[in-house]
Amino acid sequence: MSTDPSHFLSNIIGSSVTVKLHNGVKYAGVLQSIDGFMNVVLQNGTEVAGESSRTYGDVFIRGNNGMYE
Amino acid sequence: MSTLRTEQQSQEPLDLIRFQLDEFVLVKLRGAREMKGRLQGYDSHCNMVLSEAQEFIFSEKDVEPIVKKTEMVFVRGDSVILVSPSTE
Amino acid sequence: MLFFSFFKTLVDQEVTVELKNDIEIKGTLKSVDQYLNLKIDNISTVNEGKYPHLKSVKTLFIRGSTVRYVHMSPSSVDCTLLQDASRREALVQSAK
Repeated sequence: MSTDPSHFLSNIIGSSVTVKLHNGVKYAGVLQSIDGFMNVVLQNGTEVAGESSRTYGDVFIRGNNGMYE
Repeated sequence: MSTLRTEQQSQEPLDLIRFQLDEFVLVKLRGAREMKGRLQGYDSHCNMVLSEAQEFIFSEKDVEPIVKKTEMVFVRGDSVILVSPSTE
Repeated sequence: MLFFSFFKTLVDQEVTVELKNDIEIKGTLKSVDQYLNLKIDNISTVNEGKYPHLKSVKTLFIRGSTVRYVHMSPSSVDCTLLQDASRREALVQSAK
């Protein structure tokens, strides 16, 4: 098993993940892709902010905002 | 960066934005703002140009957001939180 | 570099710059650099009552990082060209 971070990230493509943003909002979805800036695309992304939630088909999250799973 | 690419998954996140060129997108921004508009241009910083755009400024919960229309606008990438295809 | 070139095509056009501190400045774009710093001539603040301290200022240099939006006339933008340039830029970026 490799512990290399970039290996880890490419290995979890396709799995269900939660991305937490600096502002506390979380997004759950299937990880479609990720790059070196930690930009992320989630499939069927769901916003989890307190009690309210909202869904997006595909959602791109800019890297600087994510704190990640 | 290329080390993140695997055989079955050659796409990178910014490709999602590329596929949205000339389509309506929803951009969530810092400062409780959202912008809906037709994507005319973008770069790797998420700088964007939107046409036929509407800006929504949210103040408090359960209060209708302020809506501002703008024909053509450049949005600086550092304010961008997320980008998603718009349902409209 | 794409938006540097984009803003160069807007030189001498009327733009409205909205800053992250909510100040809106209208004026003629005179120059731009690689950081998207902007020089604006003949300025007027859109919400002048709120920010009267810019009343006597004619020309302004705006640090790019303080910008939230730049509004412009749709007639000054070639959309097809901008879309194609974005696709080309994406290719260049992914080749790096």
